[in-house]
Amino acid sequence: MRAALTILGKDLRLRSRDRSMLLFAVVVPLGLTVLFSFVFPDTEDLELTAGVVDEDGGEVASAFVDGVLPALVDDGLLTLVDVDDAKDARRQVEDGELDATWIVPEGFSGAVAAGETAELEVLVAAGAGIAGEVARGVADGFVTELEQITLAVAVDAQARGGAPSPERIEALAAASQQRSDVIAVEDLVTGGEDQLDNISYLAAGMASFFVFFVVGTGVIGMLEERSQGTMPRLLAAPIPPGAIQLGKSLGSLIVGLASMAVLAVASSLLLGADWGHPAGVAMLISALVLAAMGVMALVGTFARTVEQAENFQSIVAIILGLFGGAFFPIPGEGWLIEVATAASPHGWFLQGLSELVASGELAAVLPATVAILVVAVVTAVPAVVLQRRGLA
Amino acid sequence: MTQVLRCDHLWKAFGDLQAVADISFTIDRGETYGLLGPNGAGKTTSISMVAGLLPPDAGEVFVAGERMHPRATTAKAAVGLVPQEVAIYPDLSARENLRFFGRLYALPQKELDARIDAVLEVIGLTDRASDRAGEYSGGMKRRLNIGIGLLHEPELLILDEPTVGVDPQSRNAILESVESLATDGLAVLYTTHYMEEAERLCDRIAIVDKGRMAAEGTRRELVATIGEQDLVRLDVAGDAPQAAAAIRQLDDLGSVDVEDQAVVCLLDGAAQRLPRLLGAVAEIGVAVMGVEVREPDLEDVFLHLTGAALRD
Ligand SMILES: Nc1ncnc2c1ncn2[C@@H]1O[C@H](COP(=O)(O)OP(=O)(O)O)[C@@H](O)[C@H]1O
Ligand SMILES: [Mg+2]
Repeated sequence: MRAALTILGKDLRLRSRDRSMLLFAVVVPLGLTVLFSFVFPDTEDLELTAGVVDEDGGEVASAFVDGVLPALVDDGLLTLVDVDDAKDARRQVEDGELDATWIVPEGFSGAVAAGETAELEVLVAAGAGIAGEVARGVADGFVTELEQITLAVAVDAQARGGAPSPERIEALAAASQQRSDVIAVEDLVTGGEDQLDNISYLAAGMASFFVFFVVGTGVIGMLEERSQGTMPRLLAAPIPPGAIQLGKSLGSLIVGLASMAVLAVASSLLLGADWGHPAGVAMLISALVLAAMGVMALVGTFARTVEQAENFQSIVAIILGLFGGAFFPIPGEGWLIEVATAASPHGWFLQGLSELVASGELAAVLPATVAILVVAVVTAVPAVVLQRRGLA
Repeated sequence: MTQVLRCDHLWKAFGDLQAVADISFTIDRGETYGLLGPNGAGKTTSISMVAGLLPPDAGEVFVAGERMHPRATTAKAAVGLVPQEVAIYPDLSARENLRFFGRLYALPQKELDARIDAVLEVIGLTDRASDRAGEYSGGMKRRLNIGIGLLHEPELLILDEPTVGVDPQSRNAILESVESLATDGLAVLYTTHYMEEAERLCDRIAIVDKGRMAAEGTRRELVATIGEQDLVRLDVAGDAPQAAAAIRQLDDLGSVDVEDQAVVCLLDGAAQRLPRLLGAVAEIGVAVMGVEVREPDLEDVFLHLTGAALRD
C-alpha cells in the first residue's frame, strides 16, 4: 500500500504538470457546454410568435383556432399575432416578424368530415429554428389527432350505412376540441417534463464524455511506464507487483472524480445548471468514473503502444458517448439503438440524473447506478486479469 | 570473499526463441563481472532474471543468499538495476526522480535526503538537480540513470550497456565511476558488446553468444584459450573466403577465419611463417592490401570461439 501511494503521488505530480490534463478535465467540457447551449437553446425560454388564418371557417377549423392555440397561449409558449389574410401572413413571415403562420385552407372541415386527407398549411420563417419546428409540430399533432377521430367516425358511419349527419360532424369537432389539449405539444417543446433542463443535460453530458479521456491516460499507465523505459525499474524495486497497478488505478480514480466534481460545481455556479440532489449526483459520478476506468483499461489491454491505446480508447469513448446521448439525446428508435443505449454508461448516467431531478428522490438513481456499476465490473475484471498476465 | 550473486543454470525462451540457455556464474563482493556478447546474445534477458523482472524457465538466482523471483522483496532490495534504456521521468527533476525511486526502496526520509545529495554529487548533477530531467543532455540522463541504481546502496549493481549512445567524454566518466564502485566493495554485473570496456573494467568475463556461455575467465585466461599464438590479419582486395581456403591448405595453423575483407589466422611463430602465408594467397591471385601481426585480444577470442565478429 505504501508503494502504491508513492506511485500515486508521483503520477498526480506528473498529471498536475500536464496542461492538457486540465484542458481535458475542465476547460474543454465547460467551454463546449456553453457553446452547445447556444446551438441547442433552452426550450423553456422558447417563445413562438405566430399568426393564424382561418380560410375555412368551419367547425373543425375553429377547434384549432379557438381550442388548441389559446391553450398554447395560456401556457406562455405562443404569442398569437393578428393577421389580415394569407397574403399578409406570408409577408410577415418573410419579413421575419413572425416565426410562423398556420393557414387552415378552405374546405378543411368538409374534407375532415368526408374522411378525406385534410392539410393544415404551415409557413415557417427562414431563421425560426426550433420555433419553426414547434409550429410544424403543433400542426402535425392536430392533424394526427383528427385522423384518428375521423377514422372512428368513418367506421361508425359505415356501420350505420350513410354519410355522417351534421350532428356527427359537430360531435367530431367537439371531440377534437376536447382532445386538443392532449396533443403532446409540451413533450415536443420541452422534451418531456421529467428531464434535466438543457444546460444541465449538456454539462452532465460533456462531463461524462470527457471523464473517459481523463481516466484513460491513467489506466494505461503501465503501457506508458513501459514505453518510457521506467517499467523495468518499477519491477526491480522491492514492492509487490500489484502495487503498481493499484497506484495507477487510484490516480485515475482521483483525477476522474475531481474533474467530474469540478464540472458539476462549476456548471451549477457559472451556468446555472442543476444536476439534482448532491448525494445522488455523487453516487452516479462515482459509478461512472469506475465504469470509465474499467472500459478504458479493458480497451487499453488490446494495444501494444500508448498511441494505439489512446486511439482505441478514443473510438470507444466517442461511440459510447454518442449512443448514450452525451452530446444530444439520440433520436429514433429500434432495437439496435436501444441495445447501444443500454450498454452505454453515459446513457445510464444521464437517465439517472433525469430521474433524480424529476422525482427529487435519492432512490431514483439506484437503477442507473447499478447498471453503471455492472459495466464497471464487467470491464474491470478482465482488464485486471489481462494486465497481470502482461506484467509477468 | 563473500559471494553476492549466484546464477544456476538459467534458461529462458520466448516462444521458439531460446534467448538464454544454461547460463551459470557467480560474483563476489568487490568484483566486476562482465557479460560480453553481441546484440541479441541474451545479456538483457539474463540480467532481467537476475533482477527478478522475469522468472526463469529453469534455474535459480540467489542474491545475498536470498532466492530471487518476481515477488522477492528482500532479494530485490539488495540489487540496484541500471536498465539499458534510460529509465527516468522526463517531467520530474533529477532530485524528484531520485526521491521517487528512493521511496520505493523504503529509505527513511532523513537517510533518503542525505543519500540523494551524495548521489547527485557522485553523478555530478548537484547544480542541475532541480531542472527537468527531460532537458538534460544524453550523458547527463545516463548519469542520472546510474545514480538511481546506486541510491539505496545495493550489494549488487547491474549495469546493462550503460555507455551505448554516449559521447566519448561521458563514456570515460561512466567507466571511471564504475571502476571506483568496485573498489568500494560493490559487486558489479556489467553487460557490454564493447570488448575494450570488458577488458578495462571486468575482473572476470563471460563470453555469451546465442544465449550460451562460450567461455568464462579473466581476460588473460580467455586469451590463453587461443594458446600462446600470434594473430595474423591479412586485409585482401579479392575473394576473402577463397584466400582463407588457400591458407587452410597449409599445415599447423591454429585457426583461419574470415572477417569481412580480411583473413584472420592464429599460429605459432608468425614472423617465420608469414612469407608462406602471403605466397599461398598470391598464388590464387588475391591481392593483399595490408598485414598485421599482434597478440590476440578478446575480439579474437570471440571470433575464434563463435566464428563470428563481435560487432556486426
Ligand atoms: N520479451 C521478449 N519477447 C520476445 N523475444 C525477446 C524478448 N526479449 C528478448 N527477446 C529476444 O531474445 C534474444 C535475446 O535478447 P536480449 O536478451 O535483449 O539480448 P542482448 O541484451 O544481449 O542484446 C533476442 O533475439 C531478442 O529478440
Ligand atoms: Mg540488451
